[in-house]
Amino acid sequence: MTAAKSDVRQGTLALMVLKTLQTIGPLHGYGIARRIEQTSGNRLVVNYGTLYPALLKLQQDGYISSEWDVSDNNRKAKYYKLTRAGHKQVEKEVGEWEQTNAILARFLAPDQETQ
Amino acid sequence: MRTLRAWFLRAAGLFHKERRDRELADEIESNLRMHIDDNVRAGMTPAEAQRQAMLKFGSVESAKESYRDQRGIPLLESLWQDVRFGLRMLRKSASFTALAILTLALGVGANATVFSWVRTLLLNPLPGVVAANHVVALETLAPDGSWEPTSYLDFRDLRDNCKSVQAMSVTKPMALAVGDTESVERVWGEAVSGNFFEMLGVKPALGRFFSTAEVDQQQNARPLVILSHAYWLSHYHADPGVIGASVRINHFPYTIIGVTPEEFHGSMPGLSFDAWVPATMYGQLASTGDNTLLDRKWRTFRVLARLAPGVSLGEARAEVVSHAKDMARDDANTNEGMSATLLPMWESHYGIQGSMLGPLGILMAACALVLLIVCANLANLQLARATARQKEFVLRLSLGASRSRLIRQVLTECSLVAVAGSLGGIAIASWLKGTLAWFLPRSSVPALGHVPLDIGVLFFAITLAFAVALVSGLAASLRVIGRNTDEMLKTGGRASSSAHSSRLRGLLATSEMALAVVAMIAAGLLLESFRNVSKIRPGFDAQQVVVAQLDLSAASYDAQQANAFYQRLQQELERQPGVTAVSYADYVPLSLSGGSWEKLEIRGYVPTPSEDMDIYRSLISPGYFNLMKIPIFEGRDFRSSDDMNAPPVMIVNQEFVRRFIGTGTAVGRQVHGWGSWFTIIGVAADSKVFRLNESPAPYFYVPMRQIYRPEMGLAFFVHTSASNDSALSTLQREARAAAPTIPVFDVMSLSDEISVSLFTQRISAGLVSVLAGVALSLAALGLFGVMTYSVAQRTNEIGIRIALGAQRKHVFAMVLGQGTRVALLGITIGTLAAWAVTRLMIGALYGVKPGDPGTFCAVSLLLLAIALLACYVPARRAMRVDPMVALKYE
Repeated sequence: MTAAKSDVRQGTLALMVLKTLQTIGPLHGYGIARRIEQTSGNRLVVNYGTLYPALLKLQQDGYISSEWDVSDNNRKAKYYKLTRAGHKQVEKEVGEWEQTNAILARFLAPDQETQ
Repeated sequence: MRTLRAWFLRAAGLFHKERRDRELADEIESNLRMHIDDNVRAGMTPAEAQRQAMLKFGSVESAKESYRDQRGIPLLESLWQDVRFGLRMLRKSASFTALAILTLALGVGANATVFSWVRTLLLNPLPGVVAANHVVALETLAPDGSWEPTSYLDFRDLRDNCKSVQAMSVTKPMALAVGDTESVERVWGEAVSGNFFEMLGVKPALGRFFSTAEVDQQQNARPLVILSHAYWLSHYHADPGVIGASVRINHFPYTIIGVTPEEFHGSMPGLSFDAWVPATMYGQLASTGDNTLLDRKWRTFRVLARLAPGVSLGEARAEVVSHAKDMARDDANTNEGMSATLLPMWESHYGIQGSMLGPLGILMAACALVLLIVCANLANLQLARATARQKEFVLRLSLGASRSRLIRQVLTECSLVAVAGSLGGIAIASWLKGTLAWFLPRSSVPALGHVPLDIGVLFFAITLAFAVALVSGLAASLRVIGRNTDEMLKTGGRASSSAHSSRLRGLLATSEMALAVVAMIAAGLLLESFRNVSKIRPGFDAQQVVVAQLDLSAASYDAQQANAFYQRLQQELERQPGVTAVSYADYVPLSLSGGSWEKLEIRGYVPTPSEDMDIYRSLISPGYFNLMKIPIFEGRDFRSSDDMNAPPVMIVNQEFVRRFIGTGTAVGRQVHGWGSWFTIIGVAADSKVFRLNESPAPYFYVPMRQIYRPEMGLAFFVHTSASNDSALSTLQREARAAAPTIPVFDVMSLSDEISVSLFTQRISAGLVSVLAGVALSLAALGLFGVMTYSVAQRTNEIGIRIALGAQRKHVFAMVLGQGTRVALLGITIGTLAAWAVTRLMIGALYGVKPGDPGTFCAVSLLLLAIALLACYVPARRAMRVDPMVALKYE
């Protein structure tokens, strides 16, 4: 059975972008998309129609900043990088995500709870 | 914080769109290139690499679209689109737009104007005063319950004992003679307690104000004056060096210590004052000596109080009443049976709000009528427009526009109309607000010269415009937009429900007609009663008589000096060409100033215990009756020999005889007043004293040479055979020449004086007629619109009728008949409504009943005529329909 490729769940793309930038450092839009797809084991497809607005929103919120730079293979590209607020936001969201996960896990496996 | 920043950035995203679009395109381009590079590196041919990259990338345009939504504020951007589109649509139907805006502006303008008057007189009677709703008036009550001014000693007792009142101050309005020996000018001022400004919470714009410790201790010790901002501007050119300067008031030197802020006009609603002096200087200024403030019977002051925090008016009033009761017991010789009360400012007896209450109430009602008509008219216009635009709406709906988007479009257009309407309304209001001053008596204290058109009024106007425009526009459009798209598409967007909507429009026109009938009947009744009041004969002949008033109090004459002055001026005037008679008195009848009275005792008449024996009187010179052409029925006129040395005499009017003497002869009867017995030597005909429509009241006359009061008024009457104008200038010149230091004021013909006395009736009748005219034209416009529209809708039908042989005059009659039916129904409903409503105006009417058949018939006929006129043009148009054109049009 082949796993169907799915779009990124709403709300999680921002966290993936932030985490990617934290891990890799400054990166352009294309790189971010590829990196997310790779990390997901190609189970996710990043839609550019969602990615660009998400990047813009993160900029408007002040979590990332952007500047034009030259890529490894000499192409001009817009690079995004985490701001100080972005670093904090990653920690915060990761914490929240783990907590949600833990709670959800309990709901999804209720048997352990009752025994 | 972060959200705020994000919104700020998004708002910024509304600008420099092109640069930002280019940047996004560059970014997409560069990312696409990198993708292709990767694909090529993975071994694809360049063409394949590009194809795959494009596929993976998806729609560039849709990416850009969602990017833009995030960048800006989509709602705002589509709002901007709506505004531009709306403006275009409004420009396209220019006549609709102009009519809608004009209608709205008229309604808003009229309402904002009356609102600004009501606010000034009733809601915000004391501008510049802090927490003015806690400032109340204290009034003394006579044993019979009528109000009286308060004596200074009573005021002091109440002030010192009432705990529920934070502060209390007297104020006494006075005409002051301000100026040097060269020329003097009459200036209205108030004599006030030291804490007056502090109590009102007013801070000086310049210099300082009085304090209790400074001015309330000793009489005539502190000649200080505070000037109004307006007076400071006009007389001192806003020179700050005025503080400390000296100015002569009633010929005494006073020191200017302060200037009030611009918005403060004193303590009487609707009136403005220019100078304030300490109440302790009253004795000096009024030449009454020190006794004024030491005599409990000298009730001359008006008292204002500020309620203590958290105390209600009722509680404070209870305390005042209980103290007044104690005072009535303790000072029984002066205060027996007296009481006192507290009243909110708008109920107090000073200021012009009392006489304005009735006219303003009627005006407000008329304005509400106009506003209702404006609503109906606007709804009608919008309905016609919405029906005409059905096609456009249907098309947009079927192309996928959401209903909410269309409603937003309609809302935007309504708002545009509202903006223009409120601007127009404000312009009309700013022009209209001054008209109140035309109707007010110019002789009295300068009143309401500057009704503020402030934030409150602007807010009122704008809210009103938006409410009316949005409600009428939405109601109309929802009927169209809310309908089933499929059904409408089938009929090709042609008004499938025209029958329904024209019924609704007919209904609106009917109600407009009905409302206009009510407004017109109210105006008709007021005009009729104004005419009746003006026709009342005052009982004296005002033709060819001019009057000048002089303020003798400034001169501090004693009785003999005063008498010498009267005679000198009289002789000078009699010498002038064209002058046929000269007389003088202390009161000008119908001049709107309060008269003076004296408590009388009449030998042989026993008053009932509660009977008010304070009888109004005039002090007059010999020849007064002759000059005024008031007949003397019995006895004789005064002679110059009736002076201080002769026995006191009086002349009474017919009503005096009727009430106190009965059928016996009046001449020779004894009447007690001013501490001595007077003999009645004559009976004069009744004449009007205060108002033209008053009923006869007892009145009496005493020779001015026998009674002298330094504070009394003085008016010279001149009868002329020449024109009034030349007599006026003679009078003015001679009066000034006789005594340059005595202010001469209110020089006018007696007939002008009488017409001024009708100012409340004039306001009601004049302004309500204007409003009724507006109502009528709006209603006629509404009917015209409905009929024109209906004819346009029925062009096809009419064409067929004519093609089938209908005669043109029948078509004409058919349309006219349809309009007449609408009008008749409206007139019937309006007449019935008016019959019910005009009953409420009974207090404002004179000599005409609320259900006056003449007025009702006249108004009904007038409206019918106007309605026929409004239908005439559309009916002509229907008659001229060319069947070929009409059928082809289909």
